Amino acid sequence: MNAPLGKTLTLWLLIGIALIVLSAPTIVVLGASFTSGNIITFPPDGLSLKWYAKLAGARALWEAFLRSVYVATVCTIISIPAGTVAGVALAKYGVRFEKTIQTYLLLPFTIPLIGSGIGLMLVFGNAGVLGSLWPVGLACCVINLPFMIWAVTASASALDPDLELAAANCGAPPLQTFFHVTLPAVMPGVISGSLLMFILALNEFLVSLLLVDARIVTLPVHIYNSIRSIITPDLAAISVVFIICAAGAVALLDRLVGLDVFLKSK
Amino acid sequence: MQSARTAYPVTWRIMDALEAFAATVWPANWTRAVPYLMLAPAVLLVGLLVLGLIQIGDTSLRTLDTSTFLLSEEYTLANYQRAFTEPLFAAVAARSLLGALIVTAITLVFAFPYAYVMVRTSSPALRKFLLIALFLPFFIGQVVRAYGWLIILGNQGMVNEALGLVGVEPMRLLYNYPAVLFGLVQYMLPFAVLMVAPALTAIPEELEAAAGSLGADWLRTFFHVVLPLARPGLTGAGLVVVTLSLTDFAMPAILGGGSQDFIANAIYDQFFRTSDQGLGATLALMLVAVGSLLVGLIFTLFGAGTLAMGRARE
Repeated sequence: MNAPLGKTLTLWLLIGIALIVLSAPTIVVLGASFTSGNIITFPPDGLSLKWYAKLAGARALWEAFLRSVYVATVCTIISIPAGTVAGVALAKYGVRFEKTIQTYLLLPFTIPLIGSGIGLMLVFGNAGVLGSLWPVGLACCVINLPFMIWAVTASASALDPDLELAAANCGAPPLQTFFHVTLPAVMPGVISGSLLMFILALNEFLVSLLLVDARIVTLPVHIYNSIRSIITPDLAAISVVFIICAAGAVALLDRLVGLDVFLKSK
Repeated sequence: MQSARTAYPVTWRIMDALEAFAATVWPANWTRAVPYLMLAPAVLLVGLLVLGLIQIGDTSLRTLDTSTFLLSEEYTLANYQRAFTEPLFAAVAARSLLGALIVTAITLVFAFPYAYVMVRTSSPALRKFLLIALFLPFFIGQVVRAYGWLIILGNQGMVNEALGLVGVEPMRLLYNYPAVLFGLVQYMLPFAVLMVAPALTAIPEELEAAAGSLGADWLRTFFHVVLPLARPGLTGAGLVVVTLSLTDFAMPAILGGGSQDFIANAIYDQFFRTSDQGLGATLALMLVAVGSLLVGLIFTLFGAGTLAMGRARE
């Protein structure tokens, strides 16, 4: 390719700025977590692992992190069965009112998060379950469910319906066909979908903020509350946990489905 | 000879029992209902949101009694009147709307070349690098990213240190409108790139080559070939970015420091600061209406795009 110089320069100038803007916070948080000073500066005052050592003793932070993991686990456990069967049903059967059902199932994306969060807060409040942690997981599942259904339908549409007919023809009853033919075929979608659900629930901030009280803050809410008062480097160290989780998720997603799928035109 | 037990494993027996159970509770002539049964859990889960909207609607029709701090029993439209007449809310709405439009324009200017190179490059390594740079912040979450910006833009932050080296006095870069918009652009970039990229993939590279061989320079090719063909993707991305930034909470709250509230922050304050749930619910319902209208517009104009969940249509 011999693109004109002006084009190459313009493209790369804009991409360069975009790359800096995208990566700067991550790099700076990583760098700041290794500081040996007592306040956040970048470049760090000197290198040390002392904030990581402090982290080991910071019970509040670890408890908040474990709560986030619990919320993400609840969210994933609910969304796997619900999203998988809904995805298979949408991808394979001619359902009546298909358009209406699709639009309905996309509601979590069309309703702004603050609206969903406030609504769920009122519903959970009336049900008297605010103050425990599982409703937060349930809420994260509801607001991100379209991701799970979407991941499953994407791989279910690739499944040849004749395979299921063949299984039935060989004498397999419906459940057996589902578990031995349909489910293995949509497995890549189920895995990448649940990965998305887990990482999004782990990071979920606004809905958590609305549904938790001071005793059960999740990690994003804890960080939010702390940066409003005083910024200490131990927050940078715990944020690195998020960065590691995100890097792991990106690597897994790339291995499982390949990041390139997001570039495909429909 | 094999014993009967290994010849017919336990798992098979369990499956048999399950099949027999399924067959009794779900007779074969009901099979037409199976897809609906499979959709039921998801429909119920999303039903929680519908319940929530009904609750919001109900609450929005009750006013706060300031002497007892209880919501009124009877329905009134007073909250809607307040929401429309109080200048504070008009100011917040105007700030959010203007912000959303500026953020969208800037985001698209940067997202387009990013998506273009990602789609067109012949180097798989570069493509992967650009994809990872995009997905990593997407998965890190807003709070940690905003925290990074606090470190960079703070009074003793990187930018001010660098300015100090060339003799410029430290500036207040945080807790103002541009800081919020900047944070929002960073938050929106991955969404925009991922919405634009499929539209660019659909444009055959030969078209650009053809324009070039007919004598158009790259700018003319860009404005007369690539841009018009990519318009559906750009419009879709634009609407998504407008909606998400209009309704965002975290960036105005963290980078605006309470002085640059967007609509979501105003709603939050009504619920948790002034405890006027009725007014908060009214604002929330109005925002839901605007947001849903915008997204509904995207879906009717372009279909659900990459988020379409239905069967592949031939």
